[in-house]
This record gives sequence, structure tokens and C-alpha cells, in this order.
Amino acid sequence: MTTAQFLQNLLNGISIGSVYAIFALGYTLVFSILGIINFAHGAIFTLGAYFTYTLAVGQFGINGLLSGLNLDLQVPFALSLLIGAVLAGLVGVLLERLAFKPLRTRGADSLLALVSSLGVALVIVNAIQYLVGAEIYTFPSQVYGDIKPAIMFEISGQPVVVRTVQVIIFAVCMVILALLGYVISFTRIGKALQAVAENQTTASLLGISVDRIILVTFFMSGFLGGLAGTLVGTSFGIAGPYFGVTYGLKGLAVIVLGGLGSIPGAVLGGIVIGLAEAFVPPDYSAYKEAVAFAFLFIVLLVRPQGLLGRSLIQKV
Amino acid sequence: MALLELKNLSINYGAIQAVRCLDLEVNTGEVVTLIGANGAGKSTTLRAVSRLLKVREGSIHFDGREITRQAPDAVVRMGIAQSPEGRQVLARQSVLDNLELGAYVRKDRAGIKSDIAKMFQLFPRLEERKQQSAGTLSGGEQQMLAIARAMMSRPKLLMLDEPSLGLAPLIVLEIFSIIRNLNAEGTTILLVEQNAKLAMQHSHRTYVLEAGQITFSGLSHELLLDERVLQAYLGG
Repeated sequence: MTTAQFLQNLLNGISIGSVYAIFALGYTLVFSILGIINFAHGAIFTLGAYFTYTLAVGQFGINGLLSGLNLDLQVPFALSLLIGAVLAGLVGVLLERLAFKPLRTRGADSLLALVSSLGVALVIVNAIQYLVGAEIYTFPSQVYGDIKPAIMFEISGQPVVVRTVQVIIFAVCMVILALLGYVISFTRIGKALQAVAENQTTASLLGISVDRIILVTFFMSGFLGGLAGTLVGTSFGIAGPYFGVTYGLKGLAVIVLGGLGSIPGAVLGGIVIGLAEAFVPPDYSAYKEAVAFAFLFIVLLVRPQGLLGRSLIQKV
Repeated sequence: MALLELKNLSINYGAIQAVRCLDLEVNTGEVVTLIGANGAGKSTTLRAVSRLLKVREGSIHFDGREITRQAPDAVVRMGIAQSPEGRQVLARQSVLDNLELGAYVRKDRAGIKSDIAKMFQLFPRLEERKQQSAGTLSGGEQQMLAIARAMMSRPKLLMLDEPSLGLAPLIVLEIFSIIRNLNAEGTTILLVEQNAKLAMQHSHRTYVLEAGQITFSGLSHELLLDERVLQAYLGG
């Protein structure tokens, strides 16, 4: 591998890895508050991409029930990205109210919540298929405005091509990570969130509305999921309603690799898996999807709690 | 008028009736202690007042308002704070963060700051450890933190669940002298204790709970001399 190739792979890996990181954080947030895996997270990822597409392109779909409908406006891409993520966040809130809260108030086993979220995922995926069809969507290049599609430079005489979209993806993810880190560590709501994650009863005794914190958590989780969906969509296209399924599974690999419930773990896990995939030789690219899980398998043999996870046996 | 009034209160824990037809009052300015054996329903009563448990029958009034069906965070905002059994400090967060979270229901930044300074005056050892995560504190320090944290909401009523549990005798005395100071400064206190004698010596009135029911109640200094209470709870 030449230096140029190495650099190319590194950039690709970090870029997609940072998207995995913010996507996986959506799982982590819900897991640290409720101790459950939200299986609808992959579907929200898909929804985020479709929301942004609709806003930026101004049409609902090529096929399906809504295909004839057009929005009268085309929202600038950056704003579409943001609104798409906010809408995905609101879907997250709805999901909590419809699929999780009723079970929680009845004291149901957390396994039921898992099945319930799986059900919601299926509903979302089928609704998308029904409404806008199963085609692959790619964002038309004009939605990005006058940005150059690629940045080219040379390293020791060899050309390195960086797609602009990858740089933008990386930058957006870093901004989001910094923002999230700030909110969780330094704000009133972030500290309340940490308190709820540690002990819900104690948090309520301090006057924290656990219910409201759970809603905020689902909003943030949905926001991150939807944003990741759009970012992957801009890079590789939106591969139909089932688009989020693969990423949903990969996100699970990321959080288990990083350590369940660990925020730095999710970020590290995302970058590691992104890099591992990027360094799969082109001849074996068909096996790229397997890399995440092979990596996970090896790490878990050595460190069952994940890279940055707390040891499962804790001092009480 | 009573600050806290429990009328005919019954609470179930699953199928078990943990508290039956309980009547209890705490007047403004008092220290009231609730004693009884393990499993008599003391913590259950406090948890019901903090609205962590559903009330099956009866009512809870606080500061002239019925709170029987309120949410836990709402009663904190109304002025009830609890230092729960086992202290329950937020182990992963710093001492300072624990105190700040104690003031979660307040918005007055300046007041919160000066109250933290006041707590550090009252508990100098907490100031020395303010950046440490609360999980690294000793049992006594954690208890102090739990009380200080509860005080940070400026409660009208402070409920303490077993503050002496598992602490060395000297620390226990320190905790009780703090309880006395807080009361002298105007905080009304409802205290649940297994250390019956000490609790009664530090309170105005006492309720004795047995298998979910009040069996005796009265002025603490009188009950301290009562033959039956003496035998059952004060080791004869």
C-alpha cells in the first residue's frame, strides 16, 4: 500500500467512522437511561435520510402513494439536514410514548420493550415503502450548491482524492460530538440526564422529572440517528426503506465494541469499525460488512466489557 | 396547622400491606421521629410522602395542599426533600455536582452558590473533597453529602431515612448534632431511625411503628421513660 492509498483509506475510514459514532451514540443514550436497546433506531436513521431528501429536493418520491406530490419549495441543504434530524428526533419522542412508556409504566420485562421497538421498526420501514416506494435515492448534486465535488492533492507524486462530502460529514460529526459532550457534561439538563442514568429513584428525589429526561433522551437519540441517516445518504445514496437495517446492526456492533453505555466507547468503536472497513482490500470489498462483526468477535474474546466499558462486575 | 399530615394512610408493596391506616403529623419547627423494627413500614412511609410509592387509601397533605397523587418531582418543588436510606449519592458525579443537583428545582444561581458555601461551612470535609467523585467518600461523608444535598433544595420539610445506618458511633453523634443544628436554624425534620434511643433524644415527638401500624405516639422525652417502649425498642 502506498502512502497515498493509506491516507485515502484513513480519510475514508475516519469519515464514515464518525457517522457510525454519532449513530451509535443514539443507542448509547437510550441504553444508559433505560437499559434497553432501541431496535427502531435503524428505522429512524432511514427516516432522517428521507426527511432531508424530501425537504432538499422538494419531492416526496418517485414511486409509492406520495409520488405525485411536490413541495413548493426546496430548502437549502444545510437547513434540510437540520430539520430532517429534528423531525427524526420527534419521531424518537413519539416512539418512546407509543412503544416504550406504556410497557414501562406496567413494569413489563425489558425484553418486551425490545420486541416492541422491533415492531415499530417494521411499521416505519413498511410505511416508507408504501408512501415513497422502494427505489434507491441519491441526492442530486445541485442541492449542495456550488461546492466542488472533490479536493485533490498530491502526496509524494501520487494523487489523493478526497470527496468534499466526506470532509463535510466529518466536520458535522465533530461539531455534533463536541456539542453533545458539552450538553451532557456541563449543562443542567446534562447533569440531570447523568443522574437519571445512574439512579432514577434518586433523581426523582432531587426533583428531576425522570419522564421529561427520558423524552429529551429519545429526542437526542432520534436526532443523532436521523442526522447519521442523511449523512450516509449523501455519501452513498439512500438504498431504499431497508437502508437502515444494516446500519442498525452495525451500530449495535459499535456500541458493544466500545462498551455498552459508554459515550467515549461509542465514539471510539465507531471510528475503529469505520477504519477497519476502509482498510479492507478492494478485492474483498464484498466482505466489508462482515468486518465489523469479525472485529467485534475478536475484541469480545479479549475484553468482554468492550473497549471502554465498565467491568460488568461492579462494586456495590 | 400541621406542615405534613398523613391521614388513614395505607400502602401496599405488591400483595403485602406495608402500612395500614397510619395517622401522623409533623408540625412546623418540629423534629419528629418514626421508630420501629426492620420492615415495620418506616421507609415505606417516607417513600410514599416523596411520592415514590402509590397510596392505596388515605391522604397526604403538605403545607395546606393535598399531595396524595402528585409526581415525585412536584413534591420536591413544593418543599419536601429526602435523604434516602443507604444515602444514594450519585457515585459517578463529583461532590459539587451532587450538591448542585440537590438544587435542581431552584433557579436562583446566586442563592445556590451561597447555599453551597453554607453547606461547606456546615460540612468542612465535603469542601476538602468537592472535586472528588462521591463514590470515593467514606460512609460518613456520603451521609453528610446526602443530607447537604437534600438541604440544597431549601426544603420546608427534611426527611432523613436511617442517617446513622452503618456508621461508626462517633460519626453517628456528629450526624445527630448536625440534625439538631439544622432544626435550630428552622428546618422541620421527619426522622426514621433504628437507633431509637438517640433518635428520641434528638426529637420532639415520636411515633412507634409496628407491622405497618402506629402503636405508640407522644412526646419523645415521655416515651423514653415508657416501660413498654423501653422494653421493645430501647433494650430494656
